[in-house]
Amino acid sequence: MKPIGSLKRIMAGLAAWMEERLGIEAARDFLRHKTVPQNRHTIWSYTGSLLLLFFSIQVVTGIILAFYYRPTLEEANKSIARIMTEVPLGWVIRSVHFWSATFMIAIVFVHLLSIWIIKSYRKPRELTWMSGVFLLVFTLAFGFTGYLLPWDDLSLAATKVGTDIPRSIPVVGAWMTKFLRGGEDVSGDTLTRFFSFHVSILPLLVLALIAFHVYLIQKLGMSLPVGADEKEEAKRAIPFWPNFVFREMIVWLILFGVLVTIAVFWPPSLGKSADLMAPAPEGIKPEWYFLFLFQTLKIFPAKILFISGDTVAVSLILLGGILFFFLPLLDNRPAGRKGKVITWIAFAFILYAVAMSVWSLLG
Amino acid sequence: MKFKESLFSRRQFLNGLLGGWLGAFLASILYPVLRAIFPPEKEPDQVILVSSDYAGIPANTVKMFAWGSKPGLLKKTEKDELVAFVGVCTHLDCNVIYLPDQKKFFCACHDGWYDENGTNISGPPPRPLRRLSVTVEGDNIIIKKEGAT
Repeated sequence: MKPIGSLKRIMAGLAAWMEERLGIEAARDFLRHKTVPQNRHTIWSYTGSLLLLFFSIQVVTGIILAFYYRPTLEEANKSIARIMTEVPLGWVIRSVHFWSATFMIAIVFVHLLSIWIIKSYRKPRELTWMSGVFLLVFTLAFGFTGYLLPWDDLSLAATKVGTDIPRSIPVVGAWMTKFLRGGEDVSGDTLTRFFSFHVSILPLLVLALIAFHVYLIQKLGMSLPVGADEKEEAKRAIPFWPNFVFREMIVWLILFGVLVTIAVFWPPSLGKSADLMAPAPEGIKPEWYFLFLFQTLKIFPAKILFISGDTVAVSLILLGGILFFFLPLLDNRPAGRKGKVITWIAFAFILYAVAMSVWSLLG
Repeated sequence: MKFKESLFSRRQFLNGLLGGWLGAFLASILYPVLRAIFPPEKEPDQVILVSSDYAGIPANTVKMFAWGSKPGLLKKTEKDELVAFVGVCTHLDCNVIYLPDQKKFFCACHDGWYDENGTNISGPPPRPLRRLSVTVEGDNIIIKKEGAT
């Protein structure tokens, strides 16, 4: 008996044993028959898998950073300095984590806006959209909590401001600020709490939501452009495996290369350890993805009639968020109908966000 | 020289090229990850102690110093010589203690015993305690890895 032949038989036997108990064949069969439509909107469907790529990079680099990071007042800043200077290639790991977060947030915005504009959220994909809005909020929360962890002047000021904003929400605001800070003020407890949010609470929530989101996408399939001919589209569709996956891999590879290149040449800086008593550094600004909200808050006067300007601004932003979340219910027309107003609102929003960000950068 | 037939087919060649590239690519990702996960050893090359801190110790006693993140044991022998050990059991890394009345080093974890020269005499330890070289230069006691100059 040939040894190769018997090895093959053992492997086949093992595979059959597993299949009998796991029943993965159904999933494989599904993937074999899954197709992806090819049309002028196909390019946007690459953004979803790119998010999974960047999320995976965040998980791996984040775990390594957590091996060395210490979430305490005395040691947080020092431990990052140690990662940047002593841990072999630790600076690359931190830089990739930083830039991958930036890429991820940028692509989350592109992903949502593209779905908004091509109206893929319409029936039956309302829940996919809604879980996506939660994923956006959690992604921003990842960015916000992660920003504090290096514990330098900038991150302290950003956290003081960011956790004070909810205070202007009527009724629950003061309680929310206290919950986020772990007390009345930003302190060492806030740092430890943010670390817990960043490495355990948010990952659990996001993983569960990603599973739900991806399940819905598999169940419902890719949406077709408004007014598309279903038969024509079915003819043009390509198999998911391997044709579409290979195309996705090309995009992953290119962006991974860009990510690593940027990470190697522009590692993030680290300020000196934050002093809870020091005045806020001059000309500070939040990360680019919060700039338009930052500028919105800035242009509101202290008082509008008898209500504080902050309360009005925060309430308006919240209202915007709620409308955004319920978009599929507000625009509940059948998938085949056009929706020019919705498209215009999306472009108006993009214009507003870009204009406010530029104003904030120049101002 | 001329081959009658190719050593490998075009498909094999391309598969090898692609697979080799993929392997190299994955290795280039794995390398920094592994480097960062396994930091280098931080054993010191030498430790410099101030003589006066250790001058008063009586014969047949030890005084501790930090050998990196391990306990170092500086021992004055009955002949008034200084010897040094890494105070870590060679069995499973527990820290040992010197018992002057029995003239033995003792490891409480698994009942390991070493004599006053650090030689393993009883219990599970497989090797003697690791020795460090001691030299006195002026006001300093310099402790180095054994064999280092």
